[in-house]
Amino acid sequence: MFAGFSKWVIEQRKYLILGALIITLVSGYFIRSIKVNPDFTSYLPKSDPVVRLFDHIGEEYGGNLLALIALEADDIFDAGVIRDIDRITRGLKTISGVSYVTSITNILDIRSDADGIEVSRLIDEYDLPETNEELDELKEYALAKEMYRGRLISEDATATLIICRLQPDADEAAIAQQIKTMIGQSAVSGQVYFGGMPFMMQDVSNMIIDDLKLLLPLVALLTALILYLGFRSPRGVLLPLIAVGISTTWTIGLMCALCVPVSLVSNIIPVILFAVGSAYSIHVISRLDEDPSAGDTSSSPTQPAAYLSGVILPVILAAFTTMVGFLSFVFGSYLTTIREFGIFATLGVFFSCIISITLVPALASYMKPKKQRKRNGPDERTRGRVISKITAATLKHPLLTLALSLVLIVIALLGVPRIERNVDILDYFKPGTEVRRAENLMKEKFGGSTPVQILVKGDILEPEVLMAMKRFQEFLESHADISHAQSVADLVEEMSFVVGEGRAIPGSRAKIANLWFLLEGEEIVTQMVNPQMNEAIIQATVGSSLQTDRVKVIVDGINEYIAENNTTEYSFEQTGMPSIHYRLDENIKQSLVSSIVLATTAVFITVLLLLRSLRGGLIGLVPIAFSLLGIFGFMGILRIPLDIATVLVGGVSIGIGIDYSIHFLGRFRREQARMGNTRDALQQTLQTTGRAISINVIAVTAGFLVLLLANLVPLQRFGILVAITMLASGYGALLMLPAIIILTKPVFGGRNNNSINEVHIKRSAK
Amino acid sequence: MKRITKTTTILLPVMFITLSWAQPEFTASQILERVDSVVNAPQDQTMNMKLILFDKNGNEREREIVMYQKGGDKRMGKILAPADQRGIAFLSLPGGVMYVYLPAFKKTRRIASHVKNTKFAGTDFTYEDMEAGAYGIKYVPEILKHEGSDHVLKLTPRPEIQSEYSMLKLWVDEKTFVPTKIEHYDKGKKLCKLMTRDKIEETSGYWLARESEMSDLRNGQKTKMIIQDVQFNQGLADDLFTERHLER
Repeated sequence: MFAGFSKWVIEQRKYLILGALIITLVSGYFIRSIKVNPDFTSYLPKSDPVVRLFDHIGEEYGGNLLALIALEADDIFDAGVIRDIDRITRGLKTISGVSYVTSITNILDIRSDADGIEVSRLIDEYDLPETNEELDELKEYALAKEMYRGRLISEDATATLIICRLQPDADEAAIAQQIKTMIGQSAVSGQVYFGGMPFMMQDVSNMIIDDLKLLLPLVALLTALILYLGFRSPRGVLLPLIAVGISTTWTIGLMCALCVPVSLVSNIIPVILFAVGSAYSIHVISRLDEDPSAGDTSSSPTQPAAYLSGVILPVILAAFTTMVGFLSFVFGSYLTTIREFGIFATLGVFFSCIISITLVPALASYMKPKKQRKRNGPDERTRGRVISKITAATLKHPLLTLALSLVLIVIALLGVPRIERNVDILDYFKPGTEVRRAENLMKEKFGGSTPVQILVKGDILEPEVLMAMKRFQEFLESHADISHAQSVADLVEEMSFVVGEGRAIPGSRAKIANLWFLLEGEEIVTQMVNPQMNEAIIQATVGSSLQTDRVKVIVDGINEYIAENNTTEYSFEQTGMPSIHYRLDENIKQSLVSSIVLATTAVFITVLLLLRSLRGGLIGLVPIAFSLLGIFGFMGILRIPLDIATVLVGGVSIGIGIDYSIHFLGRFRREQARMGNTRDALQQTLQTTGRAISINVIAVTAGFLVLLLANLVPLQRFGILVAITMLASGYGALLMLPAIIILTKPVFGGRNNNSINEVHIKRSAK
Repeated sequence: MKRITKTTTILLPVMFITLSWAQPEFTASQILERVDSVVNAPQDQTMNMKLILFDKNGNEREREIVMYQKGGDKRMGKILAPADQRGIAFLSLPGGVMYVYLPAFKKTRRIASHVKNTKFAGTDFTYEDMEAGAYGIKYVPEILKHEGSDHVLKLTPRPEIQSEYSMLKLWVDEKTFVPTKIEHYDKGKKLCKLMTRDKIEETSGYWLARESEMSDLRNGQKTKMIIQDVQFNQGLADDLFTERHLER
C-alpha cells in the first residue's frame, strides 16, 4: 500500500529536500515577528461572565491591571526621596498606555482647618516639602490617615507605592519594560521593586524566550548524544533533530503568520514536538537501519523504499492518534489558550509525521547508516545484553513483572489524591527571584498586590447604597486574606467629616449630592464610580498567594455574601484576579478530564480498528493508563501542582503512550503472523521496535531533564513530567505489554501482506 | 551643494510670500495683548450657561449654571440644574480664594484650590482652564504660523507660573482677535486637550463664543459649554461677590 509512496519519496528526494528548505525559510521569516501573550486573563474566552465583568471594569474605570512600583528607603519622608517619587510619578504619566498614576505626590487629600476645607493633594507638586519641620509634619499627618497608611505608605514609613493603572487594551509587558527602563535611567535613592501583574507578565514572557533559547539547544545536544549512543551514525543523530527543528519552525512560523501570540501554554509546543516528534524519525531510521544496503546511494531505490513502506503505516497511525489526543484539547477545553495549544500541537505533530516519512528518508538516503552491523560488535553486544536481559526476565517472569507494576500502580494511586491545583502566576517564579522579592515586600508592607473587585449597581448617591457598600467593605476586611477595601463611600465619609458632619455617610441624598460637587472629576473618583453614578466599584487587596483552596474560600465567601445581600435597590457582582483564577482552575480541571476521556476513547477506537481485536484495543491502553497514573501519582507525591501548563501532560502522555502501543503491537502482529509463535514474535519485536522505543525513551528522558535548569518553574515541572511520562510509557510498552501478551496470548486478526515481510523472507532465504 | 541651491530657490519665494502675508503690523506680544483686551473687555457679565458632559461612550449629562463675572477675576456661579445640586453656589475671588455654599448642609466652606488641574464640577475644564485673567501675564507668546484667517501662537508658561501644561497653541482670528481653538500640551509635550470655540458672534458690541467644547484626548470625554443668554455691563455690585451672598 505504501510501496508506491516510498518509492516516490526516494525518487523525488531532491525536490522534497528543496521544498522543505523553502517552507522552513518562509516559516523562519515569520518567526521573526513572534509575539508572546503572557496575559492569562485573556486565556478565558471573552464571553465568560467573569471576564466580561473584568473587562467592563477595565474599560469603565481606566483599566484594571495595576503596575506597582515600591520604593524602599530608611525613611520615605526625606526631601530627596519625595523629589524622586514626584519625578517618577510625572514621568510615568507620559508613558502611553498608562491611564492613571497614583502616588503620595499626587494623591487626593481632603482636610479641614479653621478657615474651611481643602480638597487638594497630600503633597503640592509645585511646592515639595524641603525642611525637616515640613517633612515631619507631613509624615505625622499622612500616617495618621487610613487612606494612606498601609496603602500608599507602609506603617513604618520605609516603603511607598506608586500605582500605575494600565489602559485595558495596553500591551502590559511592553509598558512594564518602559516603566523599568524609565526608572532605571533616573537615579533613585533607595531600593525599587516592581510588583503586580504587568511586571510578572513581562518577566514571564522574557523568561519563556530566554529559557527556550538557552535550553532547547541543550536538550538537543543531550538528546543527540544519546541518539548517537543508540544509532552510532550521523543520520541517527542528525535526522531526528532536524525533523524536530523543522516541524517546530513550521508550527511556530504558522502561528506567527496567523498572528497567534505564543501563550504560557503554547510555549510548550517546541518541547512537546521534541518528545513526540522525535519518535517518528527514530522509528523510520531504526527501520531503515534494518536495510543492509542502506546508505549505498548507487543502488536502486527499491530496497530502502521497501523498508520504508513497512514503517509508514505505524508512523501515520501513531501520529494520527497523537493528533487525536491533542485535538481533544480543542473540543474538550473551554480555555482559548488551551484550544490554541490543541490546534497548533496537532499541526505540529502532523508536520512531524509528514517530515519523518518524506524528508527524513530522503535525507537518510544520502547518509551512511551505522557501520555495517557486525553481529558481535561490542556496543551491539552490550546493548543487546541489557535489552535481552530485561526482555528475557520479562518473558520468563511475566507475573513478577505485573506484580511489580501493580506495586508501582498502588504507589501512584496513593499519590493521585494528593495532587494540588495552582494557577497562581507567582508560582511561576523561583523563590528569591526579583518578582518574588517584590511580592513579599508588597505583602509585608501593603497587604499584597492582587486586586479583588466588586461591581456595585444602583444609585450611588443614595445613602442606602453607600451604606451597603461600606458594609460590604467591612465584610471584606473581616476576611483574613483581604485588606484595604476601598470605595467612593470612604471619600464621601471623609468629605462629610471635613464639612463638620462626622465621619459617616450622610442621611440624605441631597447632602451626598452636595458633597459630590466637591469630589466630582477627581482622578481617583473616576477610578471608582462611573459618570452616570449608577455603578461603582469596591476594590480590595488579597494578601495570600492565589492557591486554589485559598482562592475558593475567598471567591465562594464573597459570592455567598452577595447572594444574601443583593436587593432590588442595589446589587453586587464579583470579579478580579481571584475569580479569574477560580474560573481558570475550574476549567483546567474540566479540560483535563474531558481531554483525557476524549483522547482515550479515540485512541481505543483507533487501536481497535488497527488490530481488529477488542482485546488488542484494551491491551493497547495499558501503556497509556500506566503513564497517566505514573505522572499523576508522581505529581501528587512530589507536590507538583496541576496548573495551566502541567494540565497538558495528560494529553502528551496519551500521545506518547499510544505511539508506543501502536509501534509495538503493530510490529508484534506482523511478527506473530510471520513467525506463528508468540514468544518468538515478542522477542523479535523487542529487538527491533523495542530498540527504537528504548532509544526514544532514554534520549528524550535525558534531554528533558535539562529543563530542570529552566528559570520558569512550569517549564521545569513540565520537563520532569515529560521525563516521567517517557519512562512510564516505555515501561508500559516494553515490560507490561510483553508480560500481558505472554499471559493472555492474544492472536491479532488480519492477514499480513506487508512488503516488509517479503524482504525478511528474501533475506532469510539468502 | 546643488541640492541646497535648489531647495533655497524653491523655499525663498515661499518664505517671502508667507512672511509678507503673515507678518502684518503685529508681533506675538501684540497679538496676545489684543486677545486679552477682547476677552476681558466687558466690565461685568451675567451668563446663563448649559454644560453638557459627554463620557467616552457618548452618554450625556447636563448642568445649568448662572454665572456672574466682574472684571477678569471675580466670579460667582450658581447651579440651577440638576435638581440634587440645585442651589450649590461658588465664588472665586482674586488670589485663588474660593468659597462653596452647600445648600443641603446650609454651610459655606472656603475651598483651597491651589491645585490647578482639579476639574471644575466634573467637567473637562480644570480650574486653570476656567481661570480668567490675561494670557499675557501667564505666557510667553511666539508666532508659529498663519493658518487661514487665524494667527497661530505658541504660548509657553512663564517660569514663575504653575501650570499643568507645557505649552498651548492658540488660534486667533486675525480680524476680531477672538481665540477660535486652543491645543493644550501636557508635560510630556503630548497634545492632551483640545478646546474649540464656535458660534463666535458680536453681542452688544462684544465678541463672544456662544459654544465652546473641551475634549480630553486622554480619556475620550468632552464638555460642551453653551452660553444661552448673556448680559453685559449691568453694574454688578461688589456686594454680589461675597460669602454672604452665596447663601441667597
